[in-house]
Amino acid sequence: MKLLNKILFICLIFFSLASCEDYIEGDAINSDPNNPTSVPISAQLPAFQIQIADMTGGDFSRFNCMLVQQIEGVARQWSSFNQYTGLTPNRFDSGWRDVYENVLNEVKIARANAVENGYNHHQGILNVLEAYTMQMATDVWDDMPYSDALQGVDALNPTYDTQAEIYAAVFSLLDQGVAQLSGPPGPLSLGSEDVFYGGNTANWIAAARALKARALLKQNNYSGAASEAAAAFADASQNMAFQYPDVNAAGPYFRFNVSGREGDLEFNPQMRGLLESLNDTRLGMMDGTFNADHPYLVADFYQEMVTFREMQFIIAEDDVRAGGSQAGHDAYLAGIKASFARFGLDDAAYEAYVAQPEIDPGVGNLTLEQVMTQKYIAMYLQPETYSDWRRTGIPALTPTSGTVIPVRWNYSANEFLFNANSPDEASVDIYNDRVGWNR
Amino acid sequence: MKRLSLVFSMFFMSIGLLLAQSTVSGTITDDLGDPLIGASVLVKGTSVGTVTDLDGKYSIEVPSGSDVLTISYTGYQTQEKTIGSATVIDVSMSEGIMLDEMVVTAIGIEREEKALGYAVQQVKGDEITRSGASSAVDALVGKASGVQITRSSGSVGGGSRILIRGVTSMVGNNQPLIVIDGVRTNNQTLLSQGSTAGTAASNRLMDLNPDDIESINVLKGAAATALYGTAGATGVVLITTKKGNNQNRVDVNFSSSASFDQITNMIDLQSEFAQGRTSGGELIWRSPATGESGSWGPKISDLEYATDPNHPNAPTHARDFDANGVYRWDPNGFLVPRGTGNGQAANTYNNVDPFFQTGMTFTNSLSLAGGNELMTFRLSGSDLRASGVVPNEEYDRKTVKLASSITPLEGLTISGSVNFTKSDYVRVQQGSNVSGLLLGMLRTPASFDNTNGLGADRANSTIDASAYEFADRSQRTYRGGGGYDNPYWIINNALGYEDVSRTFGNVKADYRLNNWLGFGINIGYDLTSDERKQDFEIGSRTAPLGRIRLAEFNVKQYDNYFNVLGSGNVTEDVNLSYLAGVNAFSYDENRTFADGSGLVFPGFLDISNATNVTSSQDANRYRSLGFFGQVEASWRGTLYATLSARQDYDSRLGNPADFKLEDTGFFYPSASLAFVFSELMNTSSFLSFGKLRLSWAQVGAGPPTAYSTQSVFVVPTISSWGSALNFPVGGVTGFDQSSLLGNPNLTPELTTTTEIGLDLRFLNGRLGLDATYYKGKVEDAILNASLALATGYSNVWLNSGEMTSQGIELTLNATPVEARDFAWNTQINFTKSENIVEELAPGVERLFLAGFNTAGTYLVKGNQYGAIFGGAYLREEAGTASDTDLNIPGGQVVINDNPEDNEYGFQAVDPKARAIGNPNPDFIIGWNNTLNYKNFTFNFLLDWREGGDLWNGTAWALSFFGRSQLTADTRQEAPTPIAGVKSDGTPNDIPVVRDRSYWTSSLGGFGAIGEQFVQDGGWVRLREVGLSYRFPATKWSKGGSVGVSGRNLWFTTEYDGIDPETSLTGTGNGQGFDYFNMPSSKSVMLKLSLDF
Repeated sequence: MKLLNKILFICLIFFSLASCEDYIEGDAINSDPNNPTSVPISAQLPAFQIQIADMTGGDFSRFNCMLVQQIEGVARQWSSFNQYTGLTPNRFDSGWRDVYENVLNEVKIARANAVENGYNHHQGILNVLEAYTMQMATDVWDDMPYSDALQGVDALNPTYDTQAEIYAAVFSLLDQGVAQLSGPPGPLSLGSEDVFYGGNTANWIAAARALKARALLKQNNYSGAASEAAAAFADASQNMAFQYPDVNAAGPYFRFNVSGREGDLEFNPQMRGLLESLNDTRLGMMDGTFNADHPYLVADFYQEMVTFREMQFIIAEDDVRAGGSQAGHDAYLAGIKASFARFGLDDAAYEAYVAQPEIDPGVGNLTLEQVMTQKYIAMYLQPETYSDWRRTGIPALTPTSGTVIPVRWNYSANEFLFNANSPDEASVDIYNDRVGWNR
Repeated sequence: MKRLSLVFSMFFMSIGLLLAQSTVSGTITDDLGDPLIGASVLVKGTSVGTVTDLDGKYSIEVPSGSDVLTISYTGYQTQEKTIGSATVIDVSMSEGIMLDEMVVTAIGIEREEKALGYAVQQVKGDEITRSGASSAVDALVGKASGVQITRSSGSVGGGSRILIRGVTSMVGNNQPLIVIDGVRTNNQTLLSQGSTAGTAASNRLMDLNPDDIESINVLKGAAATALYGTAGATGVVLITTKKGNNQNRVDVNFSSSASFDQITNMIDLQSEFAQGRTSGGELIWRSPATGESGSWGPKISDLEYATDPNHPNAPTHARDFDANGVYRWDPNGFLVPRGTGNGQAANTYNNVDPFFQTGMTFTNSLSLAGGNELMTFRLSGSDLRASGVVPNEEYDRKTVKLASSITPLEGLTISGSVNFTKSDYVRVQQGSNVSGLLLGMLRTPASFDNTNGLGADRANSTIDASAYEFADRSQRTYRGGGGYDNPYWIINNALGYEDVSRTFGNVKADYRLNNWLGFGINIGYDLTSDERKQDFEIGSRTAPLGRIRLAEFNVKQYDNYFNVLGSGNVTEDVNLSYLAGVNAFSYDENRTFADGSGLVFPGFLDISNATNVTSSQDANRYRSLGFFGQVEASWRGTLYATLSARQDYDSRLGNPADFKLEDTGFFYPSASLAFVFSELMNTSSFLSFGKLRLSWAQVGAGPPTAYSTQSVFVVPTISSWGSALNFPVGGVTGFDQSSLLGNPNLTPELTTTTEIGLDLRFLNGRLGLDATYYKGKVEDAILNASLALATGYSNVWLNSGEMTSQGIELTLNATPVEARDFAWNTQINFTKSENIVEELAPGVERLFLAGFNTAGTYLVKGNQYGAIFGGAYLREEAGTASDTDLNIPGGQVVINDNPEDNEYGFQAVDPKARAIGNPNPDFIIGWNNTLNYKNFTFNFLLDWREGGDLWNGTAWALSFFGRSQLTADTRQEAPTPIAGVKSDGTPNDIPVVRDRSYWTSSLGGFGAIGEQFVQDGGWVRLREVGLSYRFPATKWSKGGSVGVSGRNLWFTTEYDGIDPETSLTGTGNGQGFDYFNMPSSKSVMLKLSLDF
């Protein structure tokens, strides 16, 4: 039994607890070698900035601009969306996911990093980006989880904040953002990782004010909106936008139309009729088959989040509501001019267009109808057009099915399934439940 | 390693202590005196054994301390002979029942089948080879109860999913552990694209040459597999490969086969209506250049050709005519109403059947087996070359295997095997993607010719490029170059290539000191390198600018065992055996991807031609360490009790930030009892054997993947509709917190199973019945529980699931006829298993597995595993107290009676998605028959799968395009009210015609409803049928056989589409989808086998 003892002894050593622990823990075996557990803010920022640009030109643009009949769903799933019947809660899953998981949670993590390290300018733009996202989201979803959201397993069923509460937060975030961006940067300045503005704090401050103008408009504070708008962008070069580089990383419409979903969406005949009635030369840039040859929906798309021309129309709207003045008229024309420029049309085309009396009836003669119609055209494929249409009813639209155009998005099916504090699914009526500012 | 070498050196030191051994030889004959070839002679209590040669002779080295030989032969009563001082032992065997058959159980321990308290079923190698399947998994269909096998597609080289007793894990792997010669072997299916698109994928057990298989043992329940620990919880398939002999001779076997495959059935397409739609109240034909997707146009019989571009009905798109005014989309011209054209009636094209070809598989294999008393060897090689039913699809497999053993000293056997396999594939895109072969093929209207007039004359794979592209290389498709790839374009320009190099095997040493003490060490390795390339030539609808995707998968798996074992009689009546051991397992998988897009010029499909290249890496590594022990006690060959236990440590439970060994450990026991009650009864001629089995076992398991204890950042992919946006974007990359929240507090999940079985044999074994009932429960199941997205995450790893299972397995064996020249053996295997999801996570009632928005498979609380969940018609009781919110509510279908609505008169849509189907079969029966007449053998296997829903996504989508026969029928119906009630509860009286307006609404393809296309995927099929003739031995050959066999030649099903034996998601957990899946194939094989 001497041999047996020896062998047993060796086995004991071989599989001693120490080597067992080494075998199970050694070489950081349970750490993912390809995915870090923490990253610097400069590695995180571009990911969610591009996400914001992409959802703006993605779900938010497609659904909103389909509902206001700038585009039309003609094939496969999109033909049922166009009829509204296909707009079941699960269709809003990806938008909801983008807002919470891909943007707000990223902002939260980045903000914790920025606060800890005293990166003031980073905190400033995080506040602006959060305000932008929440405003775009609450405009279609009304009440949403906000103050109780983003806590992982610590709050499995986030409660809902009212839209008024969310708007209060939006204003507060924008004010904080302006204050932070106006002060010293702290130990780290913004740099090229900021893919919207390349670290230009003046542009960020302008964008914050532009977003505030957009928000005030929905509070029916037209003059407040106009004064923020006037203080926002000096020209279109300050637009908050993302430049998609090329076909290898193409804009959202190009990716939709060319790869995979070609033929599902087309230019809407309603809008074609409107532009034709106005002899609008921008029609050539919007119309045509939505494919690789489309003149506007190009691979290297310039995706705008908030623009100089939108601000001009906010000024014009306030002005026309107040009776009309030279300043408002100038803003109206500046908005149209910026729109022509955006479509790559020259000044001559713009001059010819506004020479028509039905486009420019002169100072004091502008109507809200004209301002909002021009804004509707100038804001082609901007999600904000849906808010403008719900606020003003301009342009007048005929439902594609039934008697009513939906006035909000349904909540995501994910929310009904997994959040016990979500409203009852049956109680959400996308045709009649107007969002807070629209009641 | 130092310690390991120490152990080795101890082994060699101990060799010196060995004593000499004796040799025994003899002849084994049947009761008529004819020699029995291949009878097994085993030294009892050891692993030393041999088989008899062609003359029934054997010779065996008997280690000292052993005194009994066990002689067994299939169909004959096993005998034991005491050796004493004899050197020649001749044995005459009598036909009888195999009461004492030895079976291989966990950790490779051979035990008497009689002693087992759990179900084990053996399938012999010749049953595998005669099935005609080139993969061991496919060959198992119908041959064992409790086993369910699903082929993913008819693509050559496509994999299969195998389940033993249904599912075990909620979200992790559910396929059984594959153990070859004692060590775990990789049977993974590695996907390089999403589960609903891409190409078919293999399961890696396909790398094993079926001719190398000696036998397959299926260990079904937890008690049978508990010694394997976590990995064995899903059942174990134990494969024993063929070995050499020790008869001082060399046996040579050569076999050659040729198999011819054709597709089985296809979905019914309409050939009545042309591409087009209603416009201005009239059905009009629309040219491909309009991009028209549907076949909602006029009747083809109402159309004729015209060529004049100035014809009033001529199409007007710029892409319709070339510079010479010649219509581009059809050499016959465009279509105009009858009487307005050139009088040539419009053709109806079949774009489907002529596309496919007869696939061919040629397999040649050669083996040499031999040896002497000191050492044995078996060397085998095989070569398989297959071309698919889809032109240009290929599968080539070459295998080489060497197995050898040496017995340098009595009691010590050192053996090893090495397998090398090279598998090469060429594959075609399938499923839900615009380059999927059937997507474009089935949607193509009957008025459009995908071959551009080349018709059926052409050779499929070499069809002229003018069929599918124009001179400028733009694609010629029925949607004017858009939509989907032309099938002929796909097989020439969008192929996927896979090169798999695989080596696996083991080195093993067994040393038996005496009956009470033996040692075993087994070191197994399995290395797979899988290199893939997917081409998308410029102009592909998937990647219009062209794309090359490279993927490299490297999987390294090591499985090492060290055992101590022994057995002996404690008293005359009581026998005791024990086993103790340790098992160290390591898994290391690395994936590297490179994705090149934007090709510079066509015709050069290489990543150097790409303008934008991105790459990424992905790893999955884990290790486990298990200590196990087993004690078996038996009393008078009547009562057998077995107790086992295992302590596992699994790295996947460790938290790198705060590692504690005890967090990773878990313990679980098992117990089983076999009571051979027939031993206590008077031997009656009616009941010759009876055994009751009872067992109880627990098995623990760690998380299904590594790295689930931490939250990480990932480089995100931004996607919604259309193609995804990948980082880096214009040179900028970024990181995003993963949507899956890690959980440092994970604990192991626990599966508890109770099993009861009865084994009865009557009439001297001519009739046998084996019945098993089992019941199990998984608790604290680790799953990626869904979270409300507003928490910031979509899933979290949680110990929160609970699932129960139960099932019945019956195996009936009978030999209804047995005469000198004729015998009929029949076996029926019945399987019924049911897994119910009891709990997911707090507040969570369903969890996504795979599929689509309209219909996906989910774990749904209270439902069977993997329920199909999706859009349903509104029912009267929706929202009432009886509505569970998950299942389809009671009451009749409610009809939309709002006259303003576009869907007036159609079924109303339930706003809630519901469980609309159950993909799990009600039961499976395999009926296997073998009839022998002299040297002829006829066999057939009927395979019956009852129930099991499939979501017919192909029919769903084709209804939108008006391509299915269904839509041709319904659009011509007289207006009829759809069955259901109006919102006030009165019977529906709104007449509608189910034409384009219906099939393109929520009720048709791409609409919200999935329910209407959930269909029964059950079948009855003739899985195998074969006739073979065995040659007698001659001077120049030791015998051989020649045969013809058929696979899948006939089946019947209620499913309206391709063969329902298909799975879009391949071998994954989410089953039950058909979305433009590749059709299945039937085959006829000729095979010749010669022994020298």
